[in-house]
Amino acid sequence: MADSLGQAMRRIKLTINGRDFEHEVDSRLLLVHYLREKARLTGTHVGCDTGNCGACTVIFNGKAVKSCMILAVQANGAAITTIEGMAANGLHPIQESFMDKFAVQCGYCTPGMIMSAHGLLAENPNPSEKEIREAIEGNLCMCTGYQQIVEAISQAAKKIGRSEKTKP
Amino acid sequence: MMKLDEILVTRNWVGKPVRRKEDIRLVKGEAAYVDDLNMDCYQAAILRSPYAHARIHKIDLTKAQALKGVVAVLTGQEVARETKPISARAITRPATQYVMAADKVRYVGEPVAAVVAEDRYIAEDALDLIEVEYEPLKPVVTIEDALKPDAPLVFEEAGSNVLMHDKMQHGDIEQAYREADLVLKENFKVHRYSSTPLEPWAIIANYERASDSFVVWSNDQQHGRSLTNVCNTLGIPIHKLRLIVPDIGGGFGIKLALWPYIVILSLLAKKVSKPVKWIQTRREHLLAGSHAPDANVEIELALKKDGRILGLRMTDIQNDGSFVHTAGIYGLIKFATMVGCYTIKAMGTELLSVVTNKAPTVQNRGVGKPTMIFVLERMVDIAAKKLGLDPVEIRLRNFVQPQQMPYTTPSGEIYESGDYPQCLKKALDLIGYEELKRHREEGRKKGKYIGIGISAGVEPGTSNLGYYYTARGTPEYTGNAEGAIVGIDYDGNVNVLLGSVDSGQGHATTTAQVVADMLGINPDQVSMNAHVDSLISPFLGHSGVYSNKFNDVDLGAVIMATKKIRDKMLRIASHALGVPEGELALREGKICSAKEEEKAITFREIASLAYKKILFLPEGEEPGLKAIAYYRNPIAKLPNRKDFNIQLTHANSVHVAVVEVDVQSGTVNFLKYGIVHDCGRQINPGIVEGMAIGSTVHGLGATLLEEFVYNEEGQPLSTTFMDYLKPLAMGVPKFELAHMESPCPYTLLGSKAVGEGGSLPSLAAIANAVEDALQPFGVKVTSLPITPEKVVRAVRETKEI
Repeated sequence: MADSLGQAMRRIKLTINGRDFEHEVDSRLLLVHYLREKARLTGTHVGCDTGNCGACTVIFNGKAVKSCMILAVQANGAAITTIEGMAANGLHPIQESFMDKFAVQCGYCTPGMIMSAHGLLAENPNPSEKEIREAIEGNLCMCTGYQQIVEAISQAAKKIGRSEKTKP
Repeated sequence: MMKLDEILVTRNWVGKPVRRKEDIRLVKGEAAYVDDLNMDCYQAAILRSPYAHARIHKIDLTKAQALKGVVAVLTGQEVARETKPISARAITRPATQYVMAADKVRYVGEPVAAVVAEDRYIAEDALDLIEVEYEPLKPVVTIEDALKPDAPLVFEEAGSNVLMHDKMQHGDIEQAYREADLVLKENFKVHRYSSTPLEPWAIIANYERASDSFVVWSNDQQHGRSLTNVCNTLGIPIHKLRLIVPDIGGGFGIKLALWPYIVILSLLAKKVSKPVKWIQTRREHLLAGSHAPDANVEIELALKKDGRILGLRMTDIQNDGSFVHTAGIYGLIKFATMVGCYTIKAMGTELLSVVTNKAPTVQNRGVGKPTMIFVLERMVDIAAKKLGLDPVEIRLRNFVQPQQMPYTTPSGEIYESGDYPQCLKKALDLIGYEELKRHREEGRKKGKYIGIGISAGVEPGTSNLGYYYTARGTPEYTGNAEGAIVGIDYDGNVNVLLGSVDSGQGHATTTAQVVADMLGINPDQVSMNAHVDSLISPFLGHSGVYSNKFNDVDLGAVIMATKKIRDKMLRIASHALGVPEGELALREGKICSAKEEEKAITFREIASLAYKKILFLPEGEEPGLKAIAYYRNPIAKLPNRKDFNIQLTHANSVHVAVVEVDVQSGTVNFLKYGIVHDCGRQINPGIVEGMAIGSTVHGLGATLLEEFVYNEEGQPLSTTFMDYLKPLAMGVPKFELAHMESPCPYTLLGSKAVGEGGSLPSLAAIANAVEDALQPFGVKVTSLPITPEKVVRAVRETKEI
């Protein structure tokens, strides 16, 4: 079957939050639209058209990326984690800290912000305030002025650090 | 008015940073914004004018209609036939504008046609296939362009590009000038900016053919007014439109007037057999969503030599772009804070709303008051410099004193409470003012340009609607109010339905805290769905999330409805227990005898009597446990030109910004930023803190980064977040906060506004700091934004930013 550009539809297979997905997609379909409309995972948001706002951030093969800057066909074979995959039951420590620190207002940037924080803490479990601010440079929040978000990520890092230490 | 002790039976929750009930859905990605609603929809895309000013001669839809996947198209001509023009609120000259351009386009981005297709990709493809024949006209871009005698007319029928022109005088301005030792005059230019909520405008419209009616889902901030506007414009009865507002991803005023697009979507939905969805793109949002108007403000202060300000004269010209609905209101709302924190006794104002070929303007966070505080607080600094006074001293000499509260300004605004001098002193202590001054002097010796900027602001809330009708006869809306329904569930828990919506403020949490303390229960037992459905929500024309009215009238409605339910439960309990009402107490989900606590009945049992065992109710008691209440602000007066009371609560704050300016690159870096604010009694300090900081960052962006730039042809040059720069986590300071609490005597809980908060005083605080830093170069700041380019040029050549 031809897609909207007259090219053959492409079949992609990928893993999202540990589940296998397989779809025929239009070659120009953006990954963020795939996640939202085909996989029906609407926690990943769209806030701009140019890769500036970070509301669509997901973990793509271990790295935090903006899913509006990637085509769905490029995700063939990829392993993706979205906000819905952060904690199967209950809350991930980052999610919990966002609640503790009042880091959420309208909530629209929140999933992308949490995914960026998740990407940061995977690489740097003990970031400084400056490193946290750098890590979320690609995520716009129009409500909070960032301060409580930075505090939340810092608290989450400590929480995760503590639980790692107490592991047998 | 009820006293606090009559309202709250416990003090366990109000005033505490209770974790937000809303957040669990938001952090898990389970929110339901309009675009997330799981519906089988067609998608719409809108063709927008590439010209600022042009006649439309012909639109050819043939190719677009032929594209596979396109299901419907709509043009401005059809809209003009099917709908009424957009209604105006403040302007006094006739100007006819439809929700889509029919014969003439008036700004780049004005809707010209719309397409519905199977998906958004195809709809966008179809836009490229629509052929429009335009005849470009000379555009009117700036205020200066618009006011030229031979300027082209944006609306020919108006006969002028000035759609509102008014002069007002309050107090004896002539006498103030006679008594003055000096008069200082300055011209300021404030640019266009916007708070750009991260979720763009979003609408789904469904037409139900059998009943000839519409259901619309939209992230509309002011659904009460929108419902009326949409129905009037479509010419349908109110019951033919059900408006549902799900989660809103930020608003800041920018979603107050998206209703013209609901009209467009409704017309599109009528043409097809499925719901139609339109999600505004960011480019559309920046291009033709809504902005705060750019303004030219000429201001004069009449002063005594000791720094006392006797009078203020102002000519305020707003470039309102092309949107007749809200044009004119920015100038008028400034009266809410025109004399700031000061005892200025007289003011003379001239207001002009100018129409140009720029994008629409709507009430962006603070609505004109950021500009007002900016020009006033800049002038106070300029006066201090002229008189050789410290910026602190001149403010202390002019502040309204706490013993003068409630204080009525010359135009009729009532400042109900507050201690402005103490607020300033507290801010100076917080930031370490004296130490900073030394640091500044040492820095200058080493070629480091450090500046300290102070700004004191009144932060009004709860709009007294109708103020914008000064020259239009009887207002359509007056005062301010909200509605709420409070019910006890069968199991004794409480549910609340509010007439208003939430766009990030945590209303469900705050409401639960208040209701919990009113009934002696835990906030976990109080549920509230912050969504609105016009079929069931207790809304009125004022309903919506704007002008920081929540803490006043929204909670007022919740409190009055809860009180009705509480009274009814007490009557039922009294009957059931055989204890007089006056001897009953509310304790942890029970009503008991205050003397013998074992004589008790649970809420669940009371609910059981009210809903099921109704024959056991007291004689004449109505079954059921649900109450509706509408609450209006009690001091709202009908605005008139002499007693021009614009807003009904007045929080205040002092901001102190400390910056270092790199004179080589022109960049402004923050060393410190202190905020002391007084929003009366705080209900949830965790939420308040976020609002105080977030609103300040809006002001920071407006002052240093953001600007909707237009070229001479009226082409917008900043239509992405690459050109329209928002504050990022790295560029904002770590704010130091302190609070004061001067309870408001006219709100039930003593609370005041906090949402617009820092977006008012921050502009002047930062601008004053930059000017202070550049004092060695003699630079004066009279315009915004303060971009690196302007800083470098001012230091080297112009001496003026």
